[in-house]
Amino acid sequence: MTNKARILVVDDDEQVSDLIRTALSTKDYETSVAFTGEQGVKKAGAEKFDLVIMDIQMPGMDGITALGEIKKTDPEVEVIIVTGHGTMGTAIQSMRRGAFDYLHKPFQIAELLTVVERALEKKKFNDITKAIFSTIRSEELLRIIIDSVTRILKADESMLVLIDKAGRPGITVSYGLEGRAQEESRLEICTRMLRQLSDTGGGAVALVDEPLKDKRFSDIAGAGEIKFAMMLPLMEESRLTGLININRRRSGEYFTENDMQRAKIFGSLVNLALRNANLYQQLQETQSQLIQAEKMSALGQLAGGLAHEINNPLSGILGLTQLVLENTTRATQNYQDLKDIEKAVFRCKKIITSLLSFARQEKSSLEPVSVNEVLDETLTLCARQMELKRIKIVREFGDGLPMVNADFQQLMQVFLNLLNNAGDAMPDGGTVAITTRLAAAAGESVEITISDTGVGIPGEILTRIFDPFYTTKPPGKGTGLGLSVCLGIMNKHNGAITARSEPGKGSAFTMTLPV
Amino acid sequence: MERRILIVDDEDLVRNYVRRALLSRGWAVSETTNGAAAIALIEKEEFSAVICDLKMPDIRGEEVIKKIRARRPAAKIIVITGSVSNLSRPIVPGVEVDGFLIKPFGIDEIRDLVEKVLKG
Repeated sequence: MTNKARILVVDDDEQVSDLIRTALSTKDYETSVAFTGEQGVKKAGAEKFDLVIMDIQMPGMDGITALGEIKKTDPEVEVIIVTGHGTMGTAIQSMRRGAFDYLHKPFQIAELLTVVERALEKKKFNDITKAIFSTIRSEELLRIIIDSVTRILKADESMLVLIDKAGRPGITVSYGLEGRAQEESRLEICTRMLRQLSDTGGGAVALVDEPLKDKRFSDIAGAGEIKFAMMLPLMEESRLTGLININRRRSGEYFTENDMQRAKIFGSLVNLALRNANLYQQLQETQSQLIQAEKMSALGQLAGGLAHEINNPLSGILGLTQLVLENTTRATQNYQDLKDIEKAVFRCKKIITSLLSFARQEKSSLEPVSVNEVLDETLTLCARQMELKRIKIVREFGDGLPMVNADFQQLMQVFLNLLNNAGDAMPDGGTVAITTRLAAAAGESVEITISDTGVGIPGEILTRIFDPFYTTKPPGKGTGLGLSVCLGIMNKHNGAITARSEPGKGSAFTMTLPV
Repeated sequence: MERRILIVDDEDLVRNYVRRALLSRGWAVSETTNGAAAIALIEKEEFSAVICDLKMPDIRGEEVIKKIRARRPAAKIIVITGSVSNLSRPIVPGVEVDGFLIKPFGIDEIRDLVEKVLKG
């Protein structure tokens, strides 16, 4: 969608078509011409036009037929019919075939321009509405809406200001703003307006004439650049989500009632676009979760079959190696080599065991368990090891936490995994803090955070740590399954696990389990 | 009575080392590569213990074990398997086995287990 509208003029009278084209060029429209109905249909099929202005009386294919043909190839193009001896009959006929409006010859240039403008406005609305229901990126869509509202309302600048999750307003898209200073000045005006709107709970369109003379805005640098401002609040379920600010600078007239009505339509288009973008994002998130789940399950099946196939020959290697070991003199190279083979088999066994625990599809046995108790139990397993690595363990367990419905063993597996990872992240020692508390967000849940003061995880890796087989540990050290198993277990518990990290400072894993 | 042990596993490598590990401890060993041969064999002979794989090409190990239990209640049964998904569930539903090992296992593991079940 370019800003400049493209108009096709179809008229067998070259004088008339020239006149129309000259009139249109004063408004910067891009025009093209055809001298017969057939030619017009062909042109409209080959190129993209926003509007066709068509004579009725032409030799060969008449205008009404050409109108029908053009609408067949491009149903979205608007058509204005021009008739020399207009009767009500041809007018009605043309409207039935989908014409936007009709003009009687002779017509005034102003009359022509008004009809053209209205037709293009309708086309614009249609384009935007269509774009909202397509997969167009929301930012691009919002830009189109803001550009259109600016031009249709003959304004000089417009912006969409949305309130983010933290409650801060920000300019999402704008049109006609130059430089940071202007952006800051407009944002300040909009921020004050939003504050006032939310205080009064108002959702009505507000007009501000000459902000420089308005006590509310007069101290803002750059306010003097604006002559007339329109503030269109955006509401979602009676909650103020932002506003559209449309400004006319030095030139221009007051915003009229008609302008306000049209702005409101754009406001609802923006709301629709935002809601759609939101739904689209949710869809994509769900999709990626599904893909992740699918990956896990496929991997699980694969792992189960693979484990069996590998364990048989592996068992043979182990047994035969040990048989030969029994007949080999210690302190020989052969003995040492065989020992190495034996060790390699144990390593394989360990990998397969974790693969299998990852692949396990059986139902976990959920029962009320105390998260603090699970953590205590886990720490008895690994506290000693961590002490040896000069790692200090800090327990900040919440008192009187409710029980959660969970599988004790599986939770232990998760905690153990995270504690082991924390240990690996601190080869020179450090501190592991384990915090439990009641979190009220999204229903009651128990929140467990295990944080370390280790090397941390760079951003590009952080997004992949829960992927199966993703590992940064040296070969033989990790299977790349630990965290994906943790994620799988937390999912089974209807819980969640997230990771935060700052390279060089440490990482924190936060889990929530519903009460 | 001579302690004779039957190994049922389609994997040559496994039978090979298990047999030699047990022979070197003085036990007598027979072996078969499939379930049907195992069932035929226990009809004719008595074994102190049967070491049986679960996944075999012809008859499922579970079926073989049930048949052995029915025909030779005194024989001890050891299951060896390459995949156990849940250790808290019975290995062979409906049948109590005397021991099991998950592959890969070493020669001392199988020797110790055989010794233990034969004693018990």
